[in-house]
Amino acid sequence: MLTAYAANWFKLARQDRHLRPNVAIYYVTGQCNLNCAYCEDFGGRRNAGNENPLPFEQAKHILSVIRTGTDALFLTGGEPLTNPHIDALVSHAKRELRFRELTLITNGSLLSAHEPLLPLVDRLIISLDSINPAVWAGVIGMPDETAESIIKNIEWAARFQKQNGFVLMANAVLSPETLPGAQAVLDFCINHGLLISFSPQSVNNWPRYDLTVSKEYQTFINKLIKLKRNGAPILGSIAYLKILSRFEPYDCYPTLVPRIYPNGDLAYPCRPLEKGNNGQGGRVINLLNETHWEDAWTKAHSLYGQPPRNCHSCFQQCYAEPSLMQSKPLSLLWEYVRYPASRKGKLTTYAPG
Amino acid sequence: MPQADPIIIGGGVAGLSAALHLAERGLKPLVLEADPQFIGGRLAGKGNLEINSWQFPLEHGVHGIWSPYRNLQAMLARHNLRPVFVPAQEELWIYREMGVVRSAPVGNAIRYSWFPAPLHYLQLFLSPRFLLTIDIRDWLRLFHVWSVLIMAVGIDPFGEDQPMEGMMLGETIRKWSPALRGFFTGLARNGLSTHAEEIPLAGFLAFLRFYTILRRDTWVFSYLPNDGGTDVCQPLSSRIQELGGQIRLGVKVVRLERAGNGWAVIADQDGIIVRFTSDHVILATDSPAAAAIIRNSFPAEAEGLSFPHGMANAVIRIWFDRQPKPGPEAGIFTGEFSLHNFFWLERIYAPYRAWNKATGGSAIEAHIYGPPEVLEQPDALLLTNAIMEIYQAYPELRGHLISQHLQRNAATHTLPSLGPRGTHLGIETPWQGLFCAGDWVRDPLPAFFLERACATGIKAANAVLTSCGKEPWTLVDYLPPEPFVGWIQSLMVKGRRRIREQKKNNPKI
Repeated sequence: MLTAYAANWFKLARQDRHLRPNVAIYYVTGQCNLNCAYCEDFGGRRNAGNENPLPFEQAKHILSVIRTGTDALFLTGGEPLTNPHIDALVSHAKRELRFRELTLITNGSLLSAHEPLLPLVDRLIISLDSINPAVWAGVIGMPDETAESIIKNIEWAARFQKQNGFVLMANAVLSPETLPGAQAVLDFCINHGLLISFSPQSVNNWPRYDLTVSKEYQTFINKLIKLKRNGAPILGSIAYLKILSRFEPYDCYPTLVPRIYPNGDLAYPCRPLEKGNNGQGGRVINLLNETHWEDAWTKAHSLYGQPPRNCHSCFQQCYAEPSLMQSKPLSLLWEYVRYPASRKGKLTTYAPG
Repeated sequence: MPQADPIIIGGGVAGLSAALHLAERGLKPLVLEADPQFIGGRLAGKGNLEINSWQFPLEHGVHGIWSPYRNLQAMLARHNLRPVFVPAQEELWIYREMGVVRSAPVGNAIRYSWFPAPLHYLQLFLSPRFLLTIDIRDWLRLFHVWSVLIMAVGIDPFGEDQPMEGMMLGETIRKWSPALRGFFTGLARNGLSTHAEEIPLAGFLAFLRFYTILRRDTWVFSYLPNDGGTDVCQPLSSRIQELGGQIRLGVKVVRLERAGNGWAVIADQDGIIVRFTSDHVILATDSPAAAAIIRNSFPAEAEGLSFPHGMANAVIRIWFDRQPKPGPEAGIFTGEFSLHNFFWLERIYAPYRAWNKATGGSAIEAHIYGPPEVLEQPDALLLTNAIMEIYQAYPELRGHLISQHLQRNAATHTLPSLGPRGTHLGIETPWQGLFCAGDWVRDPLPAFFLERACATGIKAANAVLTSCGKEPWTLVDYLPPEPFVGWIQSLMVKGRRRIREQKKNNPKI
């Protein structure tokens, strides 16, 4: 991890922006069992109809290619626990491929049916936008009972952290609807021994307008900065939280967090540019056709060149935090020394995306 | 409360922004656009041009979307219309003196300077190519440059309503050394789209404040992946219509008349005079058109009013059958060039990328902002000179010309300035129910061009909404200055206030 960090630092000093990944994110499925109001992934909100996940053997192949490029992996979706092979995939990633840091991002609704996963993951990230079931049910587009069961599942999983050696993190999306209950989410996490990260809702890859003009939002972020300085278990560096407060531009290094789609396509250099489909990025590299990460990476680089500088095409926290930490080594060191929550979080967990 | 749906004169970014914000609040705005074909004003697409069987989109000229364009981006994103931009990679300063051409990349040094604002330009002096471009005269005159930059920190012409009457950039920088004068006039000319002799100092200082001197990251910008019509104006127009607004093309407004408590808008549509009525009218045309409508409508009151100049320019596009040497996709020409800036289109726009991929060719767009005697040259002369100048900067392209195209834009581009106090119309006008919007409107907003058009459009919409008892929109704040420059600014503001008080108490000072 530190080797990659240092290598990237030297690359940047040579004006090379094609950085080695800190962590790869593999969307094991585009399907989801919830219907979140803010979701922009895979057609957003209607993704239950997405194509089926890859067969187990093909998904294993993708994991093996990723492993040749990084030892830190996020598995996400859609909802990854809807993938029928998820238990076997996690087991394969951890036991056979020996990913050093394995993180699973889930909505938590199916978690209790996957207890065997808990000892295999290093970090479990669960979305938790509100602890008021009625509010959350509204956000996820499901009945109140579903929201209640998710909260119960989080409480249940939190109890296994020490026993199974994983860290449980909540990721709360801040929107005008969830902002009034954000403090309660933070209190809930503190009470149950969870780390928490906050990210603003995006619309069209940009912060939702209502947040950009919300004094309440700015006040809350400033409060988070204070609380973090006082030891609250809040993920995200102070630099990142400051950026969130006013939505300031930052120098983005998207290849630190490469994305692999459910069918094996590699989004290069980043998801927003790939989606833009205007010649700056694309997904013609499929890891099913590759055996080594470096080959795929080099092909993508030769097709699309260096990741752009000065990009303000999106404002997404999953790119912001690793980019900030890469470009500000002293800030990273300070975070690590000064804030205990950051030590638990590590560089590779700043991208709950 | 008056509930008649408002009329918006002008379908540029200001008019479309106003219309969208009104439509989102449930009103049914009617947008009247003079152009018979294209919505969007100076950001509109202009049809296609065919070169060797390839279609290339025409437009007014390349536009940058700068990171401080926060209201424009918020508006587009709210409606899922914000395209994925093409980030600017680097800008090249090409300088020619005594027939010698030198160049230095400058954009990233300014954006990513190690020095905090307002010292960030010092990063340029760490670049060997920049140092080779300047000479001893520039070192000796650095203080003059610095004094103007500091002036921009301490004086906020728009915010303070400080017109600095009679003060022009050309006069202010006359004592500067040639290269640095060339560099900053190049920046100003590209930012303000005219030559230094015509740029009011107030406009230049406001330009520096908004785009560069208060924060390093304000110089971060991107391009649209296609022409402005395709990426912004047509989607905005469709959205307005989805929300119940109407857009009518080819309606050229002639004048306004009082009609009861509201207004009658008299327009020419295909040679027929038509009349529209409403309680509220937003005048969102460019400055020259606004001046004409106001003068036709209120001849007596309009006599004392001043409107910012509209400026003409020429856009030259040249196609080559090979690529130039690798380098920045855009930049500025200064010194002995008649061209003022350039953009390698195959590195920016999707249609040119596709052509480049298929043929290996390249295409450059260059702008000429004056002076008038240059713009008055015949097409053939203007094009010939442009091609020769491009060969001077990129000699490897000699003998590889495929085609060229000259587009002359009418004098509609706003020269940012403040008229004498009380003579320059703001969003609220002396006439009840008539509001103005556009990049020419007097307003304390720090913003320029597209962002100013959008933000004044929102403010004009807010004036109508308030009048109708509806909730106005909140504008997205601009980012504050970096801490160091913010501290200098507060010191200078305090100092100026103290001097004013002393002068007030003792007029002899």
